[in-house]
Amino acid sequence: EQVERFLSQLADFAAANKISLGPLKNVVKSILLVPSGALKRNLSPEQVRADFVALGLSEEKASYFAEQWKLNAPTLTRLAVAQTLMINQLIDMEWKFGVTAGSSELEKVGSIFLQLKLVIKKGSEVENVYVELTLPQFYSFLHEMERAKTTLESFS
Amino acid sequence: LSATRFASRQAPSKDAVRQLCQECFSCPPARLGPLAQRACPAIAASPEEAAQLVAALRGLTRHVVFRGLTRAEDILALFPEDFHQNLKNLLTKIILENISAWRNEAQASQISLPRLVDMDWRVDIKTSSDTINRMAVPTCLLQLKIQEDAALCRNSPVVSALTVELSKETLDTMLEGLGRIRDQLSAVANK
Repeated sequence: EQVERFLSQLADFAAANKISLGPLKNVVKSILLVPSGALKRNLSPEQVRADFVALGLSEEKASYFAEQWKLNAPTLTRLAVAQTLMINQLIDMEWKFGVTAGSSELEKVGSIFLQLKLVIKKGSEVENVYVELTLPQFYSFLHEMERAKTTLESFS
Repeated sequence: LSATRFASRQAPSKDAVRQLCQECFSCPPARLGPLAQRACPAIAASPEEAAQLVAALRGLTRHVVFRGLTRAEDILALFPEDFHQNLKNLLTKIILENISAWRNEAQASQISLPRLVDMDWRVDIKTSSDTINRMAVPTCLLQLKIQEDAALCRNSPVVSALTVELSKETLDTMLEGLGRIRDQLSAVANK
């Protein structure tokens, strides 16, 4: 849907400047190769400027582009990282807990249960996983996740 | 609750009675028949008597666990007046010995959502991808071992392993949620 938005912006641009859309699309496609290559190779603004000049762009325009790159590269990098392949990405977690009052086998129980619903992205689909934990399991889970967070932070 | 008259002439050993009680409690209703057949020679004169006996024992033990009876007097009160005295005392003793194990068993086999049985985690560092040649992004992999509802699987519960990936942000958010659960649990415990 982002692609469609971009294409419609292009169409508006073409109409506003009285250029035909077809050739504009080709030009833009080629231009986009430069920043995506720069992103991939983690190029500095200087290197981007040099690349554009080598491709035939004027000094002034290349410098302008390099400035834009300097401003936007961190955001672009972050977006690219966020798009990196993730296996069964956890996208949401819901929970509820309550007390089991009784059952067909035990008239009075009074045990606390915790139910988690994990929303997981599998490829392009979303799957819900329901899991029940006892209290000791919950505390153990919390403890382990805090350890994982500490580890993650030490590598950031 | 219907108790049955033991043929006291049979007089099986105490251990045999203990064993029988445990088997009757844990036996699913559908399998009482085969259990009775196996137990028959030792405890009763005829297959019909064995079947009645086994069913009655199961009923008795399950009733005690259901009501949560813990005192000998309460259990003794369940037997009919003319029940064999020594046997009554023996059965009560056996039941009291097993009550908490049986209670746990009943709770473990309660209906529930799939249960967590184990979890492991690992932190990986992503170094490269198709969009970026070089990076150093830590990510967390969490593996949950989940067992399907025990009641549905009878003898062979199905355990599946689910591996989930969490970014640092996701993990932080999850910990916030878990922290809130912990706070609410403390609030409930302190009431």
